[in-house]
Amino acid sequence: MSERIHAAFVSPYDVRDALDRLEQDGVSTDDIEVRSSAPLDHDVFPKRHGVHSRMPWMALTGAVLGGTGLFSLVAWSATIYPLPTGGQPLIAIPPTGVVTFEGVALGAILFTVATVLYECGLPGLWSAGTGPLDHHLADDHVLVTVKCDEGASMDWAAKALETARE
Amino acid sequence: MASFGAEAVARSHEENLIRPLTAFRPKLFIGSLVTGAVMALLFYSWGYQIFNDIGVAGINRPVFWGFYITNFVFWIGISHAGTLISAILRVTQAEWRRPVTRCAEAITTFALMIGGLFPLIHLGRPWVFWYMVPIPTYRGIWPNFSSPLMWDILAITTYLTGSLLYLYLPLIPDMAILRDRALKENPKTPRALFFRIMAIGWRGTLQQWHSLEAGIKAMAVIIIPVAVSVHTIVSWDFAMAVQPMWHSTIFGPYFVVGAIYSGVAVLMVAMYLLRKGLNIGEYLSDKVFNNLGLLFLAFAMMWGYFTFAEHLTVWYGNEHIERLVFDERIWGRFSPFFWTMMFTNVLVPLAILPWPKGRSPLGTAIVGFSVLIGMWIERYLIVVGTLSFPRLDYTVGSYAPSWVEMGIFVGSIGMFAFLYFSFVQTTPIVSIWEVREGHHLEVKAQRQALAAAREEP
Repeated sequence: MSERIHAAFVSPYDVRDALDRLEQDGVSTDDIEVRSSAPLDHDVFPKRHGVHSRMPWMALTGAVLGGTGLFSLVAWSATIYPLPTGGQPLIAIPPTGVVTFEGVALGAILFTVATVLYECGLPGLWSAGTGPLDHHLADDHVLVTVKCDEGASMDWAAKALETARE
Repeated sequence: MASFGAEAVARSHEENLIRPLTAFRPKLFIGSLVTGAVMALLFYSWGYQIFNDIGVAGINRPVFWGFYITNFVFWIGISHAGTLISAILRVTQAEWRRPVTRCAEAITTFALMIGGLFPLIHLGRPWVFWYMVPIPTYRGIWPNFSSPLMWDILAITTYLTGSLLYLYLPLIPDMAILRDRALKENPKTPRALFFRIMAIGWRGTLQQWHSLEAGIKAMAVIIIPVAVSVHTIVSWDFAMAVQPMWHSTIFGPYFVVGAIYSGVAVLMVAMYLLRKGLNIGEYLSDKVFNNLGLLFLAFAMMWGYFTFAEHLTVWYGNEHIERLVFDERIWGRFSPFFWTMMFTNVLVPLAILPWPKGRSPLGTAIVGFSVLIGMWIERYLIVVGTLSFPRLDYTVGSYAPSWVEMGIFVGSIGMFAFLYFSFVQTTPIVSIWEVREGHHLEVKAQRQALAAAREEP
């Protein structure tokens, strides 16, 4: 049987000590969850917890798709509904460029937001905020949750403000 | 113990931010009622115009663009305060941005919504707006993408979408903080439900923070050129025509500078009122006003320089029809407007802001209010000043706004204030998590300084 142990810490430095201790005890990083109400400093928490983001590539993909989409719409409009242009090209670069630029930006914006939501797993569970120590997040404390065997040691949480088992 | 003391002070400051969201504040309620009543004037006047046709407005040949387009350009300009300033401050990692970004981003969103209304009002028959949207129908009506008016629609839609999302993304963690508080106190209140919905299940994991920060950075980089494009395109509504004093190569940058100028002016006034009304001087500190005042001073000089350059070339070119508009502006019928504009936009900022005491919250708010008046006049001079003397000079005419146009203008100010009051009562006007992050960085710097001091022999 496994259980979850929750611990609320006041200082991020206490959390780092706790994580070091868990690492020494051989607890897998996949079984540890750290949560906070503000981003934790990367110096204090090196990227050892496998966080990643495809943000730049997804934004770029959105930009390419958005730009291509609006350019195609403008080019198609100019061809299907031709206006008298006095011998100038139907698909002129300056006006088409303006519209294409907005398509690039809109595509990048929408893909960026979609990527944030996807990577964050949002919209998320209705149960968010209902954990035993979740109210500590509102007070700027840091929560650590460890999935472990029942009766596992809680020495790592010695500096915690409050602990709970589930 | 000192750090625990600092924590307690920080928590008490946060309470000042959260109080308008959790407790009844009579001042905010009365403010909402008053501004709501003023906003009603907009819808009454607009409704009157819809039922009685566009003839009730003062626009007529040759001044087809009057108050409505003046206000459109004015509000779109104001929208440059927030998202652009916030994005620039984020990209440059300016630490003093933390308390400023959200009040600025909210200004952008509301100003854009109101600015976007004016072309609809100006249409006279707003229900035919969909003719501008590429929807295939049996009528075969299709937008002309070569028209600057279509560029307007695309640019404003893109900017509004981006600004709304750029406002909401950093709001999610704050909504989660408020949700956690509300669930602890009483999970069954409507307020707790509202915060739960707005937080959309945010938990604050390392992965969520990493992705959110990457997303905000990407959005900040994308939104800067979009903001510049919006007002450049608005300027091209004028510059792509051959009307006197419109057909100018510097209109794009001139409009962008003017937009940021008027936007920061609103920001300074709004921040002053927020500081006074919500008692949040710890966040909107003197240092923030001082920095904004310095930034504003730079923009005052840039705007003055662009105005000088624009008028000098027209005067030196000495083309008959251009000189007619120029002369009416400098010495003629529009000269009271022009010189008032120069006083409020150049003299007032240059007289007050160079002095450290002038960059106080009250000083910057006075300058901001002055510039707002001046920037509205500038838009009026560009729109009405030129159209009164078009290139075909046998159609010279004049324009006076009707009560309907006045009502819509005053109502739009009420609408902006109403939306802002509502925002202040539903969301923290200063980003709580960003301030907390700044506090953590300060603690880290103190620890490093202490460690370095211990290591010294």
